[in-house]
Amino acid sequence: MTAVSVHRRLPARGLPVPGIVVALVLAALLPPLLGSTPLLSDPHALLLCRASGIAIAAISLNILMGYAGQISLGQFAFVGVGAFTTGIVTGTHDLRLPWLAGVVAAAAAGALLALLVGLPALRLRGLYLAVVTISVAYVGWQSLFRVERIGGGSAGKVIPRPYVGGWSFSDNATYLSLALIALVVVWQVDVNLVRSRFGRAFQAVKADEKVAASFGVDVARYKLLAFALSGAVAGVGGAVFGTAFGTVTGDDFQYSTSLLLVVIVVIGGLGSRAGVVAAAFFAVLLPDVLIGIFGSGIRGLDLVINAALLVFTIARHPDGMAGAVAEAREKRARRRGGEPPLPPTRPNLPSLGRPSGMPEPRRLRAGRPVLDVAGINVRFGGLQAVDNASLRVDRGTIVGLMGPNGAGKTTLFNAITGALRPDSGRVALLGQDVSDLPAHARAALGVGRTFQLIGLVKGQSVYENLLIAQHLAAPYGLGSGLTRVGASRWYEREIRERADKTLEGLGFQRFAQTPVGRLSHGQQRIVEIGCALVTSPELVLLDEPSAGMSPAAAEDLAATLRDIRDVLGRTVLLIEHNVPLVLDVTDELYVMDAGRVIANGEPVEVVQRPEVVTAYLGTAPVREGVSA
Amino acid sequence: MSSTPLLEVRDITAGFGAVTVLHGVTFEVPRGTIAGVFGLNGAGKSVTMKTLAGIVPARSGQILLDGEDITRLSPEQRVARGMGHVPQGRQVFPDLTVEENLRLGAYTLRRRDRSRYGPALDSVYDRFPVLRDRRNQKAGTMSGGQQASLAVARALVNEPQLILVDEPSAGLSPVATLELDAVLQEVAGTGVTMVLVEQNIAFGLALVDTAHLLQTGTVVHSGPVAELDESTLATHLGIGKVLQAATGQALSGRQTKGAPGAGRRAS
Amino acid sequence: MGQVLVLGLISGGIYAIFALGVVLVFRGTGVLSFAQGEIGTVALYFAYFLVTKQHLPWAVGAIGAIALATLIGAAFEYGVVRRMVQADPVSTAVATVGVTLFLLAGEFFVFGASPRDLPAPTRAGVELFGVRVTPAQIAALLLALALGLGLQSVLRRTDFGLGILAAAQDPTAVRLVGVPLSRLTLTIWSAGAALSGLAALLVEPTVGFITPGYASELFIVGLAAAVIGGLTSLPGAFVGGVVLGIAEAAANHWFGQYGLPGLRYVVVLVVMLVVLLGRSFAPDLRRRLEQPPRPAGVTA
Repeated sequence: MTAVSVHRRLPARGLPVPGIVVALVLAALLPPLLGSTPLLSDPHALLLCRASGIAIAAISLNILMGYAGQISLGQFAFVGVGAFTTGIVTGTHDLRLPWLAGVVAAAAAGALLALLVGLPALRLRGLYLAVVTISVAYVGWQSLFRVERIGGGSAGKVIPRPYVGGWSFSDNATYLSLALIALVVVWQVDVNLVRSRFGRAFQAVKADEKVAASFGVDVARYKLLAFALSGAVAGVGGAVFGTAFGTVTGDDFQYSTSLLLVVIVVIGGLGSRAGVVAAAFFAVLLPDVLIGIFGSGIRGLDLVINAALLVFTIARHPDGMAGAVAEAREKRARRRGGEPPLPPTRPNLPSLGRPSGMPEPRRLRAGRPVLDVAGINVRFGGLQAVDNASLRVDRGTIVGLMGPNGAGKTTLFNAITGALRPDSGRVALLGQDVSDLPAHARAALGVGRTFQLIGLVKGQSVYENLLIAQHLAAPYGLGSGLTRVGASRWYEREIRERADKTLEGLGFQRFAQTPVGRLSHGQQRIVEIGCALVTSPELVLLDEPSAGMSPAAAEDLAATLRDIRDVLGRTVLLIEHNVPLVLDVTDELYVMDAGRVIANGEPVEVVQRPEVVTAYLGTAPVREGVSA
Repeated sequence: MSSTPLLEVRDITAGFGAVTVLHGVTFEVPRGTIAGVFGLNGAGKSVTMKTLAGIVPARSGQILLDGEDITRLSPEQRVARGMGHVPQGRQVFPDLTVEENLRLGAYTLRRRDRSRYGPALDSVYDRFPVLRDRRNQKAGTMSGGQQASLAVARALVNEPQLILVDEPSAGLSPVATLELDAVLQEVAGTGVTMVLVEQNIAFGLALVDTAHLLQTGTVVHSGPVAELDESTLATHLGIGKVLQAATGQALSGRQTKGAPGAGRRAS
Repeated sequence: MGQVLVLGLISGGIYAIFALGVVLVFRGTGVLSFAQGEIGTVALYFAYFLVTKQHLPWAVGAIGAIALATLIGAAFEYGVVRRMVQADPVSTAVATVGVTLFLLAGEFFVFGASPRDLPAPTRAGVELFGVRVTPAQIAALLLALALGLGLQSVLRRTDFGLGILAAAQDPTAVRLVGVPLSRLTLTIWSAGAALSGLAALLVEPTVGFITPGYASELFIVGLAAAVIGGLTSLPGAFVGGVVLGIAEAAANHWFGQYGLPGLRYVVVLVVMLVVLLGRSFAPDLRRRLEQPPRPAGVTA
């Protein structure tokens, strides 16, 4: 979606456990204390309550846009749904449920609406989604929120302040505690999300859906999940925000406020929680600050400033404030220390067993191939990219696939892994027909792959990529992930151990936190191979692993490939152009040209066949009587 | 005929993002000759073309066209100074007709001197009668070989000094490749200087006068094709002994038919 | 029924002009511009300023307004798009969001929130099926039709126009042919903005007053119309505009009695979803119908 951003990385730490307790205590005690002093006036407290609500809404948009990469220009409609739902649940005559119930209902309503928007989003390109979300924002503002039952008519919907066992929150300073507590809780949940397989899966989906699927992420399901989560958090923001106001009408949830949320998230830095929250507070407090300086004659100056900031940010610092800060920090670090030494190019791949979270691969009867491909046909428009191609790969061998550019090798790979659906033909993995399974399901059965242009999440660190690659090895649920209780602790520990071992084996410990995009091409390739192997798949598909490598590095690669076969006992199918490498490591060789398999057999023999030579070097045209 | 080479490439480095693909490419192309740049995948052929065109900026080094330093010029400015392109994949404008494609191709010529467009167009139609027959046909509906002719004609109609031809045989059927060979010989006959980048080495060797062999981002050998032997070709391309025999075939096939290019153009 | 048709065509013309601006920019640059609506509002405010405060004739005000709109489009391309570190379509689209807010804020800043009245140039009009149709509305419909069907052929006649059509298909090849791509993009953004100014001017006389964000409410329908029409088709944009206009009029006619507010936006959302989803399912359906039966079993 967006281009690679190599400076941005998600903070892997959050508030440590005692930290969140401190934050909660401060949030609970400070505001009422300050409220009784002239330091925190009533209108200022109200303003901070609003800012907290907006900050929560900004976090919700950050989940959708920053983490999952889905565009939403109508987020405030979800916030509005949350606010009105709280009003309906806690404020309507026959239904006076406690405020917390209202918040829960708001989250549920927000999630539901977001899910409804997300469903068509699965089938629409990003920009179409943007237009649909704008439309949703307008429907909310002009239509839904003006319906009497929901919006309370021209007087607006009343949302009473909570009243908990003798404690009334009608005072703004006291309510501010509640608002801040809500913000801290949402913050911590977001931290947990990022550290869990769900946050990582979102990041992968945002970076490259094909890569995500190759790591076993069900892209469609995770997109919907992102919408639902984002909607739920937006709903909570609406509850907080709306209750602060006391009475809300449709006009409090205008389309332009949705745009403002986008501004906040972009300026703060897509994907950066701290940046986004800071930008939210900035945006809400700015008008007050300006009025304080210039007097109340200034209307809209804050919007002018915010908008100008947005344009400047998107043009010069696409990663927002957070990105600019990270960039400055890195520049300073680079100036201080020299370049770290290069890691060894001959990695020592650890022999890890199958992760406990994944099923054991099917038992294959002796003599049956690990991969059996028959009659694959792929047509793109007028071009037959793959023409009745068949191949088979036996266990414990390295099979090579060669051919000139445009021969259809990568297309065939894509058909094998499920990244595309062929027009006809069957693929069988470990004896099981997988032709109808999507890519992420095939990954679960034990296939790992690499891509021509490096299939990693470039904006994330090496370590994070090793964790994302083990998505299927940590099958815990969302609840466990968001609360860091139960199964998630167990599985996270296991995959982190495996990631540590792989890191050691690759010799990349010093690069653990380096964003993958900053490594050299050869280093990225090694990390990619490490990620392909970390779940101990039976079959590994490598697409031009030696591309961009020097001859010396290619020799090391050859040794690595032999290790994969002999030490780890895996099976490899590789696309390669490097003829010496192919002759060195492969047990069997297939050659493709113009979509067809034109030769297969013993590598040294195949490479000398005239049809193969012609395919590579081409034919000199036969000319009639050239004058000398 | 001036003795300064029409195109001089001096120690060019270039690449994408963190990756450097060209590590100091140097070669010259004398006026009126055809130079071929050959190499296997990943050697840097396509980046070389893009840098010459100006689409990829050179990180260091110089490019001189007819003695003028064009290293910092935009692609449009280079075209205005006499550079023409037959891009990889032809890249004709599919929804425009043949004549509209040609009219666009002559954009800088028409702005320089509109009266020259008519004769230039006629001369191009004379050379490629198949295009004259289809002048109002949408370019996207033509066959691969016809599109190749159009791409070449589109470059020629602007009366360039130098034409860069990027992997013209890619994606063409054997029949179309033959047509293409004839087309490129036509172009060579006009006396225009050409730089040809090709993956189909045999096809390229049959057309060019000088071969520049590219391997992992540097030119490892430059010399007349007539003096090229199979072992040099094999070693410098990095394909090893195994494919040497094949390259031997390609070269001998050419040498028995007589070297093309000799006596083809007036000095 | 006739009334629905007339009402639909009237608004359809305006939506279509907005849609044409969107398609022109999208086709030429690959960017979906969300700012076109607010550019229209700014143009209106400027016309208001010229006519009411400077007491210039309406025609001058109109020309001035369109000129300002064009200038804003050019300034955006020259000052923002060209200087972007990462000028991919999504980032640029977000930048147009910033422009929208910037213009909106400017309107609040200079004119405040209370409605301003820009009086119509004439009181003339015709009665059709009980609906009063002004010359501006007829002009809008005719102009939309002319542009939708004819713009492409006009562009073909000049070298530069040809360049614009080619840039939509292949921007790199355009550079390799020597056509200055940057000048093309500047023209495209300016033209798109000019169309917005024009659309806003043509609608205002009937509604009578301007508030900040005024034209954006109509623009959103135009945006949807462009999307429905396929985003790259000029005639499609026209058809989309008319379809939405008629759909809105029909919905008001049948459902207006139930008092559901903001019917227009509900209609837009529903029609858009139906068309987009229908279109996304179509290739799958076609594939399923054409697919030959799969061979059973895997041959060793």
